[in-house]
Amino acid sequence: MTDATESNVVPIAEIGGPRWHSTQSRRETMWGFVFIGPWLIGLVLLTAGPMIASLVLSLTDFDLVHPEAVRFVGLDNYVRMASDPNVIKSLLVTFRFAIIAIPLTTFASLGFALLLNSSKLVGRNIFRTLVYMPVQIPLVASTLVWIGFLNTQTGWLNHILGFLGLPGPDWINSETWIYPALALIGLWGIGNFMLINLAGLQSVPTELYEAARIDGAGAGTMFRRITIPLMSPILLYNLVISLVVTFQYFTQAYTMTNGRGDPNNATLFINLDLYREAFVFNRMGYAAAIAWLLFVIVMALTLGLFAFARKRVYYAGGDR
Amino acid sequence: MNGKHRTLGATKPRALGLLVAVALVVGACNASASPSSPASQAPAPSTAASASLAPAITPVPLPPNAPGPNGGTVVSWFVGLGAGGQPQQLAAEANFVDAFNKSQKDVYISLEIYNNNVAGSILKTQIAAGNAPDIIGPVGVEGLNLFRDQLLDLAPLIAKTGYSVPGVDPKLVDFFKLGENNATVGVPFATYPSFLYFNKDLFDEAKLPYPPTKVGELYQGKPWDMAALRELGMKLTVDKNGNDATSPSFDPNSVEQWGFDMQYADNSPLAETSLFGASSFLAADGKTAQIPDPVSIGEKWYNDGVWKDHFIPSASQINSDLLDKGNEFESGNLAMNESHSWFTCCIYPAAPAKPKIKQFGFAIAPSYNGTITAKLHADTFSLLKTTKVPDAAFKAMTALVGSGELLTLYGAFPANPAQQDAFFKATEANFPGVKLDWSVPQAMLAYPDIPNHQSWVPNYAKAKSAWQAFQNKYRSTAGTDIDAELATLKTTLQGIFDETAP
Repeated sequence: MTDATESNVVPIAEIGGPRWHSTQSRRETMWGFVFIGPWLIGLVLLTAGPMIASLVLSLTDFDLVHPEAVRFVGLDNYVRMASDPNVIKSLLVTFRFAIIAIPLTTFASLGFALLLNSSKLVGRNIFRTLVYMPVQIPLVASTLVWIGFLNTQTGWLNHILGFLGLPGPDWINSETWIYPALALIGLWGIGNFMLINLAGLQSVPTELYEAARIDGAGAGTMFRRITIPLMSPILLYNLVISLVVTFQYFTQAYTMTNGRGDPNNATLFINLDLYREAFVFNRMGYAAAIAWLLFVIVMALTLGLFAFARKRVYYAGGDR
Repeated sequence: MNGKHRTLGATKPRALGLLVAVALVVGACNASASPSSPASQAPAPSTAASASLAPAITPVPLPPNAPGPNGGTVVSWFVGLGAGGQPQQLAAEANFVDAFNKSQKDVYISLEIYNNNVAGSILKTQIAAGNAPDIIGPVGVEGLNLFRDQLLDLAPLIAKTGYSVPGVDPKLVDFFKLGENNATVGVPFATYPSFLYFNKDLFDEAKLPYPPTKVGELYQGKPWDMAALRELGMKLTVDKNGNDATSPSFDPNSVEQWGFDMQYADNSPLAETSLFGASSFLAADGKTAQIPDPVSIGEKWYNDGVWKDHFIPSASQINSDLLDKGNEFESGNLAMNESHSWFTCCIYPAAPAKPKIKQFGFAIAPSYNGTITAKLHADTFSLLKTTKVPDAAFKAMTALVGSGELLTLYGAFPANPAQQDAFFKATEANFPGVKLDWSVPQAMLAYPDIPNHQSWVPNYAKAKSAWQAFQNKYRSTAGTDIDAELATLKTTLQGIFDETAP
């Protein structure tokens, strides 16, 4: 009996052996591909395919209305961008806005998350819902509401400022004030970032705070030494997404100015310029080149962020 | 082995980081653009877009090169560039096509209708894909400009068939020589003369007589010209204390009622200054940019009207609640508005809102230096050069042009005088209790702006964006130096024109 039992036992060394490992690993790989298959097909057909097509298009002078006259122009479109005042202006506009909007969005969403994570806040769930609620409103509709809110003559904001004895600027028609106005509109919809930050805050182990408190650490020190390091991957994620969507900024600018980039091209964001070149001026080839410029800029900035964050972001599971 | 492991370990995070970065960029590039939300707001614009992209009526699939169900040559009719894409118009257009297809066996019209905001892009895509329609329309001058070199010269077909529109002023026939080398790209169908709309209640309140309704009539003993319009506009501009703009106590920071504007002029200096004379930014040589006198003089008049005399609203005033966020005349706070006959669309708000204007009237456009210019909008049908069946397409096109039902349906002022009465009755039915003097628009048809304010210039769409930017700047910025801005505009336009030079 003992012999028989012993003969049925598969040696542990055999289970973990190379052949078993290889079969198991192959099976896992296969199932992995099965599960990511739909995404892979989508990536190839709906993302990579159009990307390659747009790269080819960017080397031509393809015009929607004169398709028969398409010519291969090499890198002409890319060379032309360097001296195109609209491209230069739109890049400046986009960078200027990014400098205001990204830090504002990042800090405000973290600030709201900290407030809404506080155990001392009464009615936390109601406030969380209220902060998240604007995200549910269609962007075009909310922009139209904001246009009314920011109007110099009859907008509520200037009425409030007037009540406080402050002069209200022409938020929408001033080349200077349009950026704070757009940043303000952006702030209204920080619910998503706030939610991600909130999830991050709730994943910080409470023992760390308790231990720090025992060691005599104050709230500021705990925030600096515990919260920020443990939140750093979340903050990096929000920062990257924020960067990408800022460089993709379009809907609000289009809605506010009917796609014209008013006032005086101050809202001619790079994505709006791309849209106008492609669908208003019909220059698809040139627009494709602008799209690639945008991609390269965003890619470079994202890689820059990752490089900057390499030693500053703490991953609990180890190096990433 | 260990060394190898270390190397791999060092490369892994970098490769993984790169992969994550690419995935994030690509992923985020697919999402909706908003600095405030990464993904959840994506459905909003795309839902709106998909709703507006949905074709109103798609063409019935027919085998290529085969005759239509009635045995006739298939001709495709593309609607949406101008009027015709509104939901309430679809059934009538479909009924017209059905009746036409049943009435004869030579031509079969295949109808496709798109919403106006996407029709241009769809037509461009169809041209690029090599399946462009035969007929486009109704389409205005601007729409024709955008497809100018794709339009067929109708002159040979008109000569071949002996086609003419009875009773139409020859000036209107010439108006459609808008193609390359003055090719005739349309025939008179619907015209939209411009004139003054005035709010009678505001005149009564100010105890001022109504503006003239006959050409040559004086206003308060003076010629009815741009100087008279300015003076009248100031008297009708009122601040919150009830002072008008001619009063020393008038407060320009609290205006609640304005005297004049040219509403819905598409931010075009050429449209706005047409009262000072017809003009173009393109010199007679067809390649040089110019700032014509009417624009130069007219824009200073408007600039002063906004910032010095305060009887014309600024950009932020136009978009305020006081002027119904852009629908100035409908708000009841604008006394006079120069606009086209199609503007009857926009005097009363959509139900269930109640009209703020009780009584309004039509008046003659004021003259400048003794000349009246009443800018004209005109819709027509046009054939694309790519049509393989020009004769059949022209036959279908003339049937569309001759249809009284379509004219009434589009709310268009008929070019043919015999069809005008039906239009007047249909329009008056929308304004019970309001007596409209139709002799005003009829009279204004004799003073069209030639060159038209929407006339073609090289690189039209881009040039338009440049002059719109100028227009927006002076309307939103006090103290704009008009001469300097126009000089800059001229340089910009020349650069834009040169981009398309051979």
